[in-house]
Amino acid sequence: MSAATTKEKTPEPALAERLRLEVERAVQRSFRSIELLGAAPPTVGRTPKTVLHRRGTLSLYHYHATADEIYRVPILFVMAPTNKAYILDLAPGQSMMEFLLARGYDIYMMDWDAPTDAERNLKIEDYVLDFIPDCLKRVQQDSGEDDVTLVGYCAGGMLSAIHVALLPDGPVKNLVCFTTPVDFSKMELFRAMASDKVFDVDKLVDSVGIVPADMVRAGFDSLRPASRVAGQLRLWDNLWNDEFVKGFRMMERWGNETLPLPGAYFRQTVKELLRGNALYEGTLKIGGRKVDLAKITVPFLHVIAQYDHIVPPACAHPLVERVGSRDKEEVVLPGGHVSIAAGANAVKRMWPKLDSWLQRRST
Amino acid sequence: MPQRPRPENTTVATSLIPDPFQMWREALTKLEGNVNSLVTGSVDSQELMRSMHQLSTLSLGMQQAFEKAIGAYLARVNLPSRKDVSELAAALQRVEDKLDLLLPTGAAGSAAPRPPRTRRPPPEEVAAPAAVAAAPAAARPARAAKRTASRARRRS
Repeated sequence: MSAATTKEKTPEPALAERLRLEVERAVQRSFRSIELLGAAPPTVGRTPKTVLHRRGTLSLYHYHATADEIYRVPILFVMAPTNKAYILDLAPGQSMMEFLLARGYDIYMMDWDAPTDAERNLKIEDYVLDFIPDCLKRVQQDSGEDDVTLVGYCAGGMLSAIHVALLPDGPVKNLVCFTTPVDFSKMELFRAMASDKVFDVDKLVDSVGIVPADMVRAGFDSLRPASRVAGQLRLWDNLWNDEFVKGFRMMERWGNETLPLPGAYFRQTVKELLRGNALYEGTLKIGGRKVDLAKITVPFLHVIAQYDHIVPPACAHPLVERVGSRDKEEVVLPGGHVSIAAGANAVKRMWPKLDSWLQRRST
Repeated sequence: MPQRPRPENTTVATSLIPDPFQMWREALTKLEGNVNSLVTGSVDSQELMRSMHQLSTLSLGMQQAFEKAIGAYLARVNLPSRKDVSELAAALQRVEDKLDLLLPTGAAGSAAPRPPRTRRPPPEEVAAPAAVAAAPAAARPARAAKRTASRARRRS
């Protein structure tokens, strides 16, 4: 019997089965939707850790080792100031922290809380020349090691790269960046929104002091304006699927907990980075000193997400070209801005790559 | 911008009658993509950007006015706002964290484990890759000297 004939014999039963399945799912949706309305927020960030230090918006954590022996060089992660770090520690089985701890790394994390009004004047200088060096020193003291690997995610990567460029003789032994922007001219929509013809950043910052989280989140949502509604429709469609709902709610919680930003930092980002593209042009001055990415000479890895809509690959590529390191590598992996580091496929793609790169440079 | 590939778990209808549920899902994905492309393709439209900012400013203004009114009412009836309670909770958390640091390890609960820093990469990874081998020879003695000096300082 030919394949075509076989196919012709199955249409009605297949569709009937699909209809039955959809009716069953519809019933499950109605029950689950009621459960969802009263459900507590999903638990995230459960990998055990100790708070080493808190100072205003900054928190420094030390994750508890799970391996019997660990690599010599500790790792300090720098999260982007716009978001919480638990995206890298969503749940058992979907946690980069858990993955790296199991492979013997000693991990510290710079995380952020909403800045208070007293922190409205924090600038890039404060993150790069105060928070990061302070945390590096605390990691050295806590670990007993002088060398530290610095890993920055998105704007955290940008802050890390600027720090190493300004302090190339510091304790940073290796630098890793994920989805880090350099050429802001390739962030077309953000640049259009930040244009001085349509947006008076000084008026906003002077009136609010701290840029509200809603506004920061709206900025990210505007890159994909239909996705929030489409996401809710997909959630409704998949309410029968516990795994889908669990994953969706964790990601949604993280997106909703976007942080407000100090006004001075926001103003600097808009004027010097988005409008002036100063980091790419080599004209960015931090603490009175010009940031020259060529001064970075430590081993360097940049992981770029192929389908990143926030930091397009064209925006991130120049970083590996600009750094002065001889041991440097750029890896482009399938995934979006968040899924590359925290999605279900990260365990097969990015995390093993990070492990194989780090293990030779952490002894 | 490269397009994402089709998700791996989508089913393809083998029936001659199209699967309406799959068609609906595909239509949603396509509509989402079209709307997103429409907006991102309008980067040159200053009017659109201005409108987005005006909407954002209006929303922010209304939110601030509402919060101010609520804040004034709560102050009048001598009740704390949600912000006051959150700030108090954050301050309390900071005090608790500082207490944990000050208290003896046994009292604060189990200390973080401190395994030895003796781990080595798996044997097949020990062979240096071309990129590392190409690193200047001068860099390695400098780093080794730095580690020796730091260990000497810790011992003294």
